Amino acid sequence: MHPIVRLVNRNLTISLSPGFLIWQVIFPLIYIFVAGFAYTSLIDRVPFGGRDLDYPAFLATGMIGFNIMNSTLVTGIIIWNDRRHGMFEQIMSGPFTRFHYILSSVITQAIVGLVSAALIAGMGYLVYFDQIEFNLSTVPLLVFAAVIGSVLFGSIASIISTRLRTSEGFNVIINTVFLFFAFVSTAFYPAGGAPEPLSTAFYLNPLTYLVDVIRAGIFGDVTEFVLVEMAVLVVLGLGLFVTATRLLTRLDF
Amino acid sequence: MSCIAAQSLAKSYSGIAAVDGIDLTVQTGQIFGFLGPNGAGKSTTIKMLTTLVMADAGNLSILGIDAAKSPLEIRKRIGVVLQQPSYEPTLTVKRSLEKYGMMWDVPAQLRQERVRRLLADFDLTEIQNKRNEDLSIGQRRRVQVAREFMHDMDLLFLDEPTVGLDPAVRKRLLDYLKDRAGAGLTIFYTTHVLSEAEYICDKIAIINRGKIIAVDSPEELKRRFGQEKTIKINIAERDERIRDLLEDITDCRVEFDSGTEVTIRSEQSSAVLSRIFGILKENDIEVEELSAVPTSLEDIFLKVVSDAPDS
Repeated sequence: MHPIVRLVNRNLTISLSPGFLIWQVIFPLIYIFVAGFAYTSLIDRVPFGGRDLDYPAFLATGMIGFNIMNSTLVTGIIIWNDRRHGMFEQIMSGPFTRFHYILSSVITQAIVGLVSAALIAGMGYLVYFDQIEFNLSTVPLLVFAAVIGSVLFGSIASIISTRLRTSEGFNVIINTVFLFFAFVSTAFYPAGGAPEPLSTAFYLNPLTYLVDVIRAGIFGDVTEFVLVEMAVLVVLGLGLFVTATRLLTRLDF
Repeated sequence: MSCIAAQSLAKSYSGIAAVDGIDLTVQTGQIFGFLGPNGAGKSTTIKMLTTLVMADAGNLSILGIDAAKSPLEIRKRIGVVLQQPSYEPTLTVKRSLEKYGMMWDVPAQLRQERVRRLLADFDLTEIQNKRNEDLSIGQRRRVQVAREFMHDMDLLFLDEPTVGLDPAVRKRLLDYLKDRAGAGLTIFYTTHVLSEAEYICDKIAIINRGKIIAVDSPEELKRRFGQEKTIKINIAERDERIRDLLEDITDCRVEFDSGTEVTIRSEQSSAVLSRIFGILKENDIEVEELSAVPTSLEDIFLKVVSDAPDS
Protein backbone atom coordinates (compact mmCIF):
# COMPACT_ATOMS: atom_id res chain seq x y z
CA MET A 1 0.00 0.00 0.00
CA HIS A 2 1.34 3.45 -0.87
CA PRO A 3 2.49 5.53 2.13
CA ILE A 4 -0.07 8.26 1.37
CA VAL A 5 -2.93 5.73 1.35
CA ARG A 6 -1.70 4.39 4.73
CA LEU A 7 -1.62 7.88 6.19
CA VAL A 8 -5.09 8.69 4.83
CA ASN A 9 -6.37 5.47 6.38
CA ARG A 10 -4.83 6.49 9.70
CA ASN A 11 -6.17 10.07 9.42
CA LEU A 12 -9.72 8.87 8.77
CA THR A 13 -9.52 6.38 11.65
CA ILE A 14 -8.46 8.96 14.20
CA SER A 15 -10.78 11.74 13.02
CA LEU A 16 -14.10 9.97 12.48
CA SER A 17 -15.27 10.02 16.06
CA PRO A 18 -18.97 9.93 17.03
CA GLY A 19 -18.71 13.56 18.15
CA PHE A 20 -17.42 14.65 14.77
CA LEU A 21 -20.15 12.74 12.92
CA ILE A 22 -22.85 14.31 15.09
CA TRP A 23 -21.33 17.72 14.42
CA GLN A 24 -21.28 17.00 10.70
CA VAL A 25 -24.81 15.57 10.38
CA ILE A 26 -27.07 16.71 13.22
CA PHE A 27 -25.97 20.33 13.20
CA PRO A 28 -26.78 20.95 9.50
CA LEU A 29 -30.04 19.00 9.82
CA ILE A 30 -31.18 21.31 12.61
CA TYR A 31 -30.27 24.31 10.47
CA ILE A 32 -32.08 23.03 7.39
CA PHE A 33 -35.21 21.58 8.96
CA VAL A 34 -35.64 23.76 12.05
CA ALA A 35 -34.08 27.14 11.30
CA GLY A 36 -34.91 26.87 7.59
CA PHE A 37 -38.65 26.48 8.15
CA ALA A 38 -38.82 28.66 11.28
CA TYR A 39 -37.28 31.62 9.46
CA THR A 40 -39.80 31.43 6.63
CA SER A 41 -42.02 33.75 8.71
CA LEU A 42 -39.26 36.38 8.33
CA ILE A 43 -37.77 35.42 4.97
CA ASP A 44 -40.38 33.91 2.72
CA ARG A 45 -38.69 33.98 -0.68
CA VAL A 46 -35.11 34.68 -1.75
CA PRO A 47 -34.41 36.13 -5.20
CA PHE A 48 -31.83 34.05 -7.06
CA GLY A 49 -30.91 34.06 -10.77
CA GLY A 50 -34.11 35.74 -11.92
CA ARG A 51 -36.45 33.62 -9.81
CA ASP A 52 -37.54 33.27 -6.21
CA LEU A 53 -36.41 30.35 -4.05
CA ASP A 54 -37.98 29.05 -0.85
CA TYR A 55 -35.83 30.03 2.12
CA PRO A 56 -35.36 26.37 3.24
CA ALA A 57 -34.08 25.52 -0.26
CA PHE A 58 -31.75 28.54 -0.19
CA LEU A 59 -30.47 27.62 3.28
CA ALA A 60 -30.02 23.90 2.48
CA THR A 61 -27.73 24.72 -0.45
CA GLY A 62 -25.83 27.16 1.75
CA MET A 63 -25.41 24.41 4.32
CA ILE A 64 -23.59 22.24 1.77
CA GLY A 65 -20.84 24.87 1.55
CA PHE A 66 -20.97 25.46 5.29
CA ASN A 67 -20.49 21.75 5.92
CA ILE A 68 -17.60 21.47 3.47
CA MET A 69 -15.92 24.28 5.38
CA ASN A 70 -16.66 22.71 8.75
CA SER A 71 -15.38 19.31 7.67
CA THR A 72 -11.97 20.80 6.95
CA LEU A 73 -11.61 21.57 10.63
CA VAL A 74 -10.66 17.93 10.84
CA THR A 75 -7.39 18.64 9.03
CA GLY A 76 -6.41 21.40 11.40
CA ILE A 77 -7.30 19.23 14.37
CA ILE A 78 -5.27 16.26 13.05
CA ILE A 79 -2.17 18.38 12.43
CA TRP A 80 -2.52 20.19 15.73
CA ASN A 81 -3.08 16.94 17.65
CA ASP A 82 -0.14 15.29 15.87
CA ARG A 83 2.13 18.10 17.01
CA ARG A 84 0.72 18.22 20.50
CA HIS A 85 0.86 14.46 21.08
CA GLY A 86 4.23 13.83 19.39
CA MET A 87 2.82 11.94 16.41
CA PHE A 88 4.11 14.40 13.82
CA GLU A 89 7.70 13.71 14.86
CA GLN A 90 6.96 9.98 15.20
CA ILE A 91 5.50 9.80 11.68
CA MET A 92 8.40 11.80 10.27
CA SER A 93 10.85 9.34 11.85
CA GLY A 94 9.08 6.50 10.03
CA PRO A 95 8.77 5.53 6.36
CA PHE A 96 7.16 8.82 5.33
CA THR A 97 8.19 12.21 3.98
CA ARG A 98 6.66 15.61 4.68
CA PHE A 99 5.19 15.48 1.19
CA HIS A 100 3.39 12.23 2.12
CA TYR A 101 2.09 13.85 5.29
CA ILE A 102 0.84 17.01 3.57
CA LEU A 103 -0.75 15.19 0.65
CA SER A 104 -2.44 12.71 2.97
CA SER A 105 -3.97 15.65 4.86
CA VAL A 106 -5.29 17.15 1.61
CA ILE A 107 -6.77 13.84 0.49
CA THR A 108 -8.32 13.26 3.90
CA GLN A 109 -9.98 16.65 3.87
CA ALA A 110 -11.14 16.17 0.27
CA ILE A 111 -12.72 12.81 1.18
CA VAL A 112 -14.41 14.21 4.28
CA GLY A 113 -15.50 17.28 2.28
CA LEU A 114 -16.95 15.19 -0.56
CA VAL A 115 -18.81 12.83 1.75
CA SER A 116 -20.04 15.75 3.76
CA ALA A 117 -21.26 17.59 0.68
CA ALA A 118 -22.97 14.46 -0.64
CA LEU A 119 -24.64 13.86 2.72
CA ILE A 120 -26.06 17.36 3.05
CA ALA A 121 -26.96 17.50 -0.64
CA GLY A 122 -28.90 14.26 -0.15
CA MET A 123 -30.66 15.41 3.00
CA GLY A 124 -31.27 18.87 1.58
CA TYR A 125 -32.88 17.35 -1.50
CA LEU A 126 -36.05 16.96 0.55
CA VAL A 127 -36.41 20.74 0.70
CA TYR A 128 -35.14 21.81 -2.71
CA PHE A 129 -36.28 18.89 -4.89
CA ASP A 130 -39.05 20.93 -6.54
CA GLN A 131 -36.71 23.81 -7.36
CA ILE A 132 -33.64 21.94 -8.53
CA GLU A 133 -32.55 22.48 -12.15
CA PHE A 134 -30.51 19.33 -12.61
CA ASN A 135 -28.19 19.50 -15.62
CA LEU A 136 -24.80 18.26 -16.80
CA SER A 137 -22.92 20.80 -14.70
CA THR A 138 -24.69 20.04 -11.40
CA VAL A 139 -22.53 17.14 -10.19
CA PRO A 140 -19.22 18.51 -11.56
CA LEU A 141 -19.90 21.84 -9.85
CA LEU A 142 -20.69 20.13 -6.54
CA VAL A 143 -17.53 18.00 -6.78
CA PHE A 144 -15.51 21.09 -7.71
CA ALA A 145 -16.92 22.95 -4.71
CA ALA A 146 -16.23 20.05 -2.36
CA VAL A 147 -12.64 19.60 -3.53
CA ILE A 148 -11.59 23.25 -3.85
CA GLY A 149 -13.49 24.18 -0.67
CA SER A 150 -11.73 21.40 1.21
CA VAL A 151 -8.31 22.45 -0.05
CA LEU A 152 -8.96 26.13 0.63
CA PHE A 153 -10.45 25.91 4.12
CA GLY A 154 -8.26 22.92 5.01
CA SER A 155 -5.21 25.03 4.18
CA ILE A 156 -6.50 27.81 6.44
CA ALA A 157 -7.02 25.28 9.25
CA SER A 158 -3.53 23.86 8.60
CA ILE A 159 -1.94 27.31 8.72
CA ILE A 160 -3.64 28.04 12.05
CA SER A 161 -2.59 24.64 13.45
CA THR A 162 1.06 25.21 12.53
CA ARG A 163 1.16 28.60 14.21
CA LEU A 164 -0.49 27.83 17.53
CA ARG A 165 0.70 25.55 20.31
CA THR A 166 -1.85 25.91 23.09
CA SER A 167 -5.24 24.24 22.90
CA GLU A 168 -6.95 27.41 24.10
CA GLY A 169 -5.29 29.50 21.40
CA PHE A 170 -6.05 26.95 18.70
CA ASN A 171 -9.72 26.61 19.67
CA VAL A 172 -10.33 30.34 20.05
CA ILE A 173 -8.67 31.30 16.77
CA ILE A 174 -10.10 28.51 14.63
CA ASN A 175 -13.63 28.99 15.97
CA THR A 176 -13.46 32.76 15.54
CA VAL A 177 -12.16 32.51 11.97
CA PHE A 178 -14.70 29.88 10.96
CA LEU A 179 -17.53 31.74 12.69
CA PHE A 180 -16.61 34.83 10.69
CA PHE A 181 -16.59 32.81 7.48
CA ALA A 182 -19.95 31.24 8.31
CA PHE A 183 -21.91 34.34 9.22
CA VAL A 184 -20.29 36.98 7.01
CA SER A 185 -21.29 35.03 3.92
CA THR A 186 -24.32 34.20 1.82
CA ALA A 187 -24.58 30.71 3.31
CA PHE A 188 -27.48 31.69 5.58
CA TYR A 189 -28.95 34.78 3.91
CA PRO A 190 -28.72 36.62 0.59
CA ALA A 191 -26.31 39.51 0.16
CA GLY A 192 -29.01 41.61 -1.50
CA GLY A 193 -31.00 42.58 1.59
CA ALA A 194 -28.00 43.22 3.87
CA PRO A 195 -26.65 46.75 4.62
CA GLU A 196 -24.05 47.91 2.07
CA PRO A 197 -20.82 47.41 4.12
CA LEU A 198 -21.96 43.95 5.15
CA SER A 199 -22.99 42.84 1.67
CA THR A 200 -19.58 44.02 0.41
CA ALA A 201 -17.89 42.09 3.21
CA PHE A 202 -19.77 38.97 2.09
CA TYR A 203 -17.74 39.06 -1.12
CA LEU A 204 -14.44 39.23 0.73
CA ASN A 205 -15.24 35.79 2.04
CA PRO A 206 -14.44 32.60 0.07
CA LEU A 207 -17.42 30.78 1.60
CA THR A 208 -19.72 33.16 -0.29
CA TYR A 209 -18.05 32.16 -3.55
CA LEU A 210 -18.29 28.51 -2.62
CA VAL A 211 -22.04 28.58 -1.87
CA ASP A 212 -22.63 30.66 -5.02
CA VAL A 213 -20.99 27.89 -7.08
CA ILE A 214 -23.05 25.21 -5.28
CA ARG A 215 -26.30 27.12 -5.82
CA ALA A 216 -25.39 27.71 -9.46
CA GLY A 217 -24.98 23.97 -9.88
CA ILE A 218 -28.17 23.00 -8.07
CA PHE A 219 -30.45 25.74 -9.37
CA GLY A 220 -28.94 25.79 -12.88
CA ASP A 221 -27.72 29.37 -13.04
CA VAL A 222 -24.06 29.30 -14.12
CA THR A 223 -23.32 32.91 -15.03
CA GLU A 224 -20.05 34.60 -15.98
CA PHE A 225 -19.79 35.90 -12.45
CA VAL A 226 -19.93 32.34 -11.12
CA LEU A 227 -17.07 31.41 -13.45
CA VAL A 228 -15.08 34.34 -12.04
CA GLU A 229 -15.89 33.13 -8.53
CA MET A 230 -14.64 29.66 -9.45
CA ALA A 231 -11.39 31.15 -10.76
CA VAL A 232 -10.97 33.16 -7.54
CA LEU A 233 -11.52 30.02 -5.48
CA VAL A 234 -8.90 28.10 -7.48
CA VAL A 235 -6.29 30.87 -7.20
CA LEU A 236 -6.98 31.48 -3.50
CA GLY A 237 -7.10 27.75 -2.74
CA LEU A 238 -3.77 27.10 -4.46
CA GLY A 239 -2.16 30.12 -2.80
CA LEU A 240 -3.28 29.03 0.64
CA PHE A 241 -2.28 25.44 -0.06
CA VAL A 242 1.25 26.52 -1.04
CA THR A 243 1.48 28.66 2.11
CA ALA A 244 0.24 25.81 4.33
CA THR A 245 2.67 23.37 2.68
CA ARG A 246 5.60 25.72 3.23
CA LEU A 247 4.69 26.22 6.87
CA LEU A 248 4.35 22.47 7.39
CA THR A 249 7.66 21.86 5.64
CA ARG A 250 9.40 24.28 7.97
CA LEU A 251 7.95 22.87 11.18
CA ASP A 252 10.79 22.13 13.60
CA PHE A 253 11.10 19.04 15.73
CA MET B 1 30.07 -4.49 10.26
CA SER B 2 29.20 -0.89 11.18
CA CYS B 3 25.54 -0.17 11.62
CA ILE B 4 26.15 3.50 12.39
CA ALA B 5 29.24 5.31 11.14
CA ALA B 6 29.50 9.03 11.83
CA GLN B 7 32.54 11.19 11.16
CA SER B 8 32.89 14.80 12.31
CA LEU B 9 29.14 15.14 12.67
CA ALA B 10 28.14 18.69 13.64
CA LYS B 11 24.98 20.68 14.16
CA SER B 12 24.50 24.24 15.36
CA TYR B 13 21.43 26.22 16.29
CA SER B 14 21.65 30.02 16.03
CA GLY B 15 25.42 29.81 15.90
CA ILE B 16 25.69 27.68 19.04
CA ALA B 17 27.16 24.21 18.51
CA ALA B 18 24.78 21.56 19.83
CA VAL B 19 26.93 18.75 18.43
CA ASP B 20 30.53 19.60 17.72
CA GLY B 21 32.18 17.20 15.28
CA ILE B 22 31.53 13.80 16.84
CA ASP B 23 32.73 10.42 15.59
CA LEU B 24 30.63 7.34 16.34
CA THR B 25 30.79 3.73 15.27
CA VAL B 26 28.14 1.23 16.31
CA GLN B 27 28.56 -2.40 15.30
CA THR B 28 25.66 -4.56 14.14
CA GLY B 29 24.00 -6.44 16.98
CA GLN B 30 25.38 -4.14 19.67
CA ILE B 31 23.41 -2.35 22.35
CA PHE B 32 25.11 1.01 22.29
CA GLY B 33 24.54 3.33 25.24
CA PHE B 34 24.65 7.06 24.68
CA LEU B 35 24.97 9.01 27.91
CA GLY B 36 25.38 12.63 28.76
CA PRO B 37 24.09 15.33 31.06
CA ASN B 38 21.08 17.46 30.09
CA GLY B 39 21.86 19.72 27.14
CA ALA B 40 24.97 17.72 26.21
CA GLY B 41 23.80 17.09 22.63
CA LYS B 42 22.15 13.66 22.98
CA SER B 43 18.80 14.57 21.45
CA THR B 44 20.36 16.51 18.58
CA THR B 45 22.61 13.54 17.84
CA ILE B 46 19.64 11.16 17.83
CA LYS B 47 17.70 13.49 15.55
CA MET B 48 20.59 13.46 13.10
CA LEU B 49 21.02 9.70 13.31
CA THR B 50 17.30 9.16 12.71
CA THR B 51 17.41 11.70 9.82
CA LEU B 52 14.85 13.96 11.50
CA VAL B 53 17.34 16.82 11.14
CA MET B 54 20.23 17.11 8.73
CA ALA B 55 23.77 17.62 9.97
CA ASP B 56 25.52 20.90 9.14
CA ALA B 57 28.78 19.06 8.56
CA GLY B 58 30.31 15.60 8.61
CA ASN B 59 29.49 12.24 7.11
CA LEU B 60 26.82 9.87 8.34
CA SER B 61 26.09 6.37 7.19
CA ILE B 62 23.28 4.33 8.75
CA LEU B 63 23.00 0.66 7.77
CA GLY B 64 25.41 1.41 4.97
CA ILE B 65 23.15 4.13 3.53
CA ASP B 66 24.30 7.74 3.16
CA ALA B 67 22.00 9.80 5.41
CA ALA B 68 22.39 12.94 3.31
CA LYS B 69 21.38 11.18 0.10
CA SER B 70 18.70 8.65 1.10
CA PRO B 71 17.12 9.53 4.47
CA LEU B 72 13.83 7.82 3.59
CA GLU B 73 15.60 4.53 2.83
CA ILE B 74 17.15 4.69 6.29
CA ARG B 75 13.85 5.48 8.00
CA LYS B 76 12.25 2.44 6.35
CA ARG B 77 14.71 0.21 8.22
CA ILE B 78 14.89 1.81 11.65
CA GLY B 79 12.59 2.06 14.64
CA VAL B 80 12.47 5.15 16.82
CA VAL B 81 11.08 5.58 20.32
CA LEU B 82 11.40 9.26 20.99
CA GLN B 83 11.95 10.82 24.37
CA GLN B 84 8.66 12.70 24.19
CA PRO B 85 5.40 10.75 24.40
CA SER B 86 3.70 10.06 21.07
CA TYR B 87 0.21 8.64 20.88
CA GLU B 88 -3.21 8.95 19.27
CA PRO B 89 -5.36 10.08 22.18
CA THR B 90 -8.67 8.63 20.99
CA LEU B 91 -7.44 5.19 19.92
CA THR B 92 -7.44 2.21 22.26
CA VAL B 93 -4.17 0.47 23.04
CA LYS B 94 -4.99 -2.45 20.76
CA ARG B 95 -6.18 -0.24 17.93
CA SER B 96 -3.12 1.98 18.12
CA LEU B 97 -0.86 -1.07 17.79
CA GLU B 98 -2.89 -2.28 14.81
CA LYS B 99 -2.88 1.12 13.14
CA TYR B 100 0.83 1.57 13.69
CA GLY B 101 1.44 -1.79 12.04
CA MET B 102 -0.78 -0.72 9.15
CA MET B 103 1.22 2.52 8.80
CA TRP B 104 4.35 0.38 8.44
CA ASP B 105 2.61 -1.76 5.81
CA VAL B 106 2.70 -4.92 7.92
CA PRO B 107 0.33 -7.51 6.34
CA ALA B 108 -3.00 -7.80 8.17
CA GLN B 109 -2.55 -11.34 9.46
CA LEU B 110 0.97 -10.71 10.72
CA ARG B 111 -0.31 -7.52 12.33
CA GLN B 112 -2.87 -9.45 14.34
CA GLU B 113 -0.26 -11.96 15.50
CA ARG B 114 2.13 -9.22 16.54
CA VAL B 115 -0.58 -7.29 18.38
CA ARG B 116 -1.45 -10.41 20.40
CA ARG B 117 2.19 -11.14 21.17
CA LEU B 118 3.12 -7.57 22.11
CA LEU B 119 0.06 -7.13 24.30
CA ALA B 120 1.28 -10.16 26.24
CA ASP B 121 5.01 -9.34 26.18
CA PHE B 122 4.44 -5.80 27.43
CA ASP B 123 1.74 -6.74 29.90
CA LEU B 124 -0.87 -4.65 28.09
CA THR B 125 -3.63 -7.25 27.71
CA GLU B 126 -5.68 -5.90 30.60
CA ILE B 127 -5.64 -2.36 29.27
CA GLN B 128 -5.94 -3.21 25.57
CA ASN B 129 -9.38 -1.59 25.32
CA LYS B 130 -8.47 1.58 27.20
CA ARG B 131 -7.99 4.75 25.20
CA ASN B 132 -4.46 6.15 25.12
CA GLU B 133 -5.61 9.42 26.67
CA ASP B 134 -6.85 7.49 29.72
CA LEU B 135 -3.55 5.69 30.41
CA SER B 136 -0.99 6.54 33.06
CA ILE B 137 2.37 7.91 31.95
CA GLY B 138 4.05 4.52 32.49
CA GLN B 139 1.35 2.61 30.60
CA ARG B 140 1.55 5.05 27.71
CA ARG B 141 5.31 4.64 27.61
CA ARG B 142 4.94 0.86 27.46
CA VAL B 143 2.53 1.18 24.55
CA GLN B 144 4.93 3.53 22.79
CA VAL B 145 7.82 1.08 23.10
CA ALA B 146 5.68 -1.98 22.27
CA ARG B 147 4.26 -0.23 19.20
CA GLU B 148 7.72 0.06 17.68
CA PHE B 149 8.04 -3.72 17.60
CA MET B 150 5.01 -3.96 15.30
CA HIS B 151 7.33 -3.53 12.34
CA ASP B 152 10.59 -5.16 11.26
CA MET B 153 13.74 -3.14 11.65
CA ASP B 154 17.50 -3.51 11.67
CA LEU B 155 18.26 -0.68 14.08
CA LEU B 156 16.23 0.68 16.98
CA PHE B 157 16.73 4.06 18.63
CA LEU B 158 15.43 4.25 22.18
CA ASP B 159 15.56 7.67 23.83
CA GLU B 160 15.01 7.18 27.55
CA PRO B 161 12.44 4.40 27.08
CA THR B 162 12.07 3.56 30.77
CA VAL B 163 10.92 6.98 31.96
CA GLY B 164 7.84 6.51 34.13
CA LEU B 165 8.19 2.72 34.42
CA ASP B 166 8.26 0.95 37.77
CA PRO B 167 11.36 -1.16 38.57
CA ALA B 168 9.72 -4.52 37.74
CA VAL B 169 8.41 -3.36 34.37
CA ARG B 170 11.74 -1.67 33.67
CA LYS B 171 13.60 -4.91 34.30
CA ARG B 172 11.24 -6.82 32.00
CA LEU B 173 11.71 -4.26 29.27
CA LEU B 174 15.51 -4.36 29.58
CA ASP B 175 15.47 -8.15 29.40
CA TYR B 176 13.15 -7.99 26.38
CA LEU B 177 15.58 -5.61 24.66
CA LYS B 178 18.50 -7.87 25.50
CA ASP B 179 16.65 -10.78 23.90
CA ARG B 180 15.96 -8.77 20.76
CA ALA B 181 19.59 -7.70 20.56
CA GLY B 182 20.56 -11.34 21.00
CA ALA B 183 18.44 -12.07 17.93
CA GLY B 184 20.46 -9.55 15.90
CA LEU B 185 18.77 -6.20 16.47
CA THR B 186 21.13 -3.25 16.94
CA ILE B 187 19.97 -0.84 19.63
CA PHE B 188 21.04 2.75 20.22
CA TYR B 189 20.02 3.50 23.77
CA THR B 190 20.01 6.70 25.80
CA THR B 191 19.16 6.90 29.48
CA HIS B 192 19.83 8.87 32.62
CA VAL B 193 19.60 5.70 34.70
CA LEU B 194 23.22 4.58 34.57
CA SER B 195 22.59 1.24 36.22
CA GLU B 196 20.37 0.46 33.21
CA ALA B 197 23.15 1.32 30.79
CA GLU B 198 25.54 -0.82 32.79
CA TYR B 199 23.07 -3.72 32.73
CA ILE B 200 22.16 -3.61 29.08
CA CYS B 201 24.87 -1.94 27.01
CA ASP B 202 27.81 -3.58 25.25
CA LYS B 203 29.43 -0.24 24.61
CA ILE B 204 28.89 3.26 25.94
CA ALA B 205 29.67 6.73 24.64
CA ILE B 206 29.57 9.74 26.92
CA ILE B 207 28.84 13.10 25.34
CA ASN B 208 29.32 16.46 27.01
CA ARG B 209 29.05 19.95 25.52
CA GLY B 210 28.55 18.47 22.06
CA LYS B 211 31.71 16.34 22.10
CA ILE B 212 32.23 12.63 22.76
CA ILE B 213 34.50 12.44 25.78
CA ALA B 214 34.66 8.67 26.29
CA VAL B 215 33.69 5.55 24.33
CA ASP B 216 34.20 2.02 25.57
CA SER B 217 32.57 -1.01 27.14
CA PRO B 218 31.22 -0.42 30.69
CA GLU B 219 33.96 -2.66 32.11
CA GLU B 220 36.73 -0.89 30.24
CA LEU B 221 35.37 2.53 31.26
CA LYS B 222 35.48 1.42 34.87
CA ARG B 223 39.00 0.14 34.46
CA ARG B 224 40.18 3.35 32.80
CA PHE B 225 38.39 5.87 34.94
CA GLY B 226 37.61 3.89 38.07
CA GLN B 227 41.03 3.78 39.71
CA GLU B 228 39.75 5.84 42.57
CA LYS B 229 38.37 3.49 45.24
CA THR B 230 35.76 4.32 47.81
CA ILE B 231 36.21 2.84 51.30
CA LYS B 232 33.85 3.26 54.20
CA ILE B 233 35.07 2.90 57.80
CA ASN B 234 32.67 2.67 60.69
CA ILE B 235 34.17 3.36 64.09
CA ALA B 236 32.73 1.77 67.19
CA GLU B 237 31.99 4.99 69.05
CA ARG B 238 31.63 8.55 68.03
CA ASP B 239 34.91 10.39 68.56
CA GLU B 240 35.21 14.15 68.12
CA ARG B 241 38.99 13.93 67.53
CA ILE B 242 38.72 11.96 64.29
CA ARG B 243 38.14 14.94 62.04
CA ASP B 244 41.35 16.64 63.21
CA LEU B 245 43.33 13.41 63.14
CA LEU B 246 42.54 12.56 59.51
CA GLU B 247 42.47 16.08 58.16
CA ASP B 248 46.08 16.23 57.03
CA ILE B 249 46.28 12.94 55.15
CA THR B 250 47.26 13.55 51.54
CA ASP B 251 46.34 11.72 48.27
CA CYS B 252 42.77 11.21 49.29
CA ARG B 253 39.45 12.88 49.99
CA VAL B 254 37.98 12.15 53.38
CA GLU B 255 34.33 12.77 54.15
CA PHE B 256 32.78 12.56 57.60
CA ASP B 257 29.16 12.11 58.39
CA SER B 258 27.83 13.53 61.63
CA GLY B 259 28.16 10.20 63.42
CA THR B 260 30.57 7.28 63.14
CA GLU B 261 31.10 6.82 59.40
CA VAL B 262 34.15 8.01 57.45
CA THR B 263 34.28 7.77 53.65
CA ILE B 264 37.68 7.79 51.93
CA ARG B 265 38.19 8.18 48.19
CA SER B 266 41.66 7.69 46.80
CA GLU B 267 43.58 6.33 43.83
CA GLN B 268 46.25 5.05 46.26
CA SER B 269 43.76 3.41 48.55
CA SER B 270 46.11 0.78 50.06
CA ALA B 271 48.72 3.30 51.18
CA VAL B 272 46.10 5.74 52.42
CA LEU B 273 44.24 3.02 54.27
CA SER B 274 47.41 1.85 55.97
CA ARG B 275 48.15 5.41 57.18
CA ILE B 276 44.58 5.83 58.46
CA PHE B 277 44.66 2.55 60.36
CA GLY B 278 47.97 3.62 61.90
CA ILE B 279 46.49 6.90 63.13
CA LEU B 280 43.34 5.22 64.46
CA LYS B 281 45.42 2.62 66.32
CA GLU B 282 47.74 5.25 67.86
CA ASN B 283 44.69 7.05 69.20
CA ASP B 284 42.84 3.95 70.43
CA ILE B 285 39.95 4.40 68.07
CA GLU B 286 38.31 1.05 67.39
CA VAL B 287 37.17 0.16 63.86
CA GLU B 288 33.89 -1.70 63.84
CA GLU B 289 33.36 -2.24 60.11
CA LEU B 290 35.28 -1.71 56.90
CA SER B 291 33.73 -1.91 53.43
CA ALA B 292 34.87 -1.22 49.89
CA VAL B 293 32.23 0.25 47.60
CA PRO B 294 32.52 -1.02 44.00
CA THR B 295 32.96 1.66 41.37
CA SER B 296 29.70 2.17 39.53
CA LEU B 297 29.11 3.53 36.06
CA GLU B 298 27.51 6.49 37.77
CA ASP B 299 30.83 7.28 39.50
CA ILE B 300 32.60 7.02 36.15
CA PHE B 301 30.02 9.19 34.43
CA LEU B 302 30.29 11.91 37.06
CA LYS B 303 34.09 11.79 36.97
CA VAL B 304 34.35 11.85 33.18
CA VAL B 305 31.85 14.69 32.84
CA SER B 306 33.39 16.78 35.63
CA ASP B 307 36.93 16.22 34.34
CA ALA B 308 36.04 17.20 30.78
CA PRO B 309 37.47 20.55 29.63
CA ASP B 310 34.99 23.43 29.48
CA SER B 311 35.43 23.95 25.78
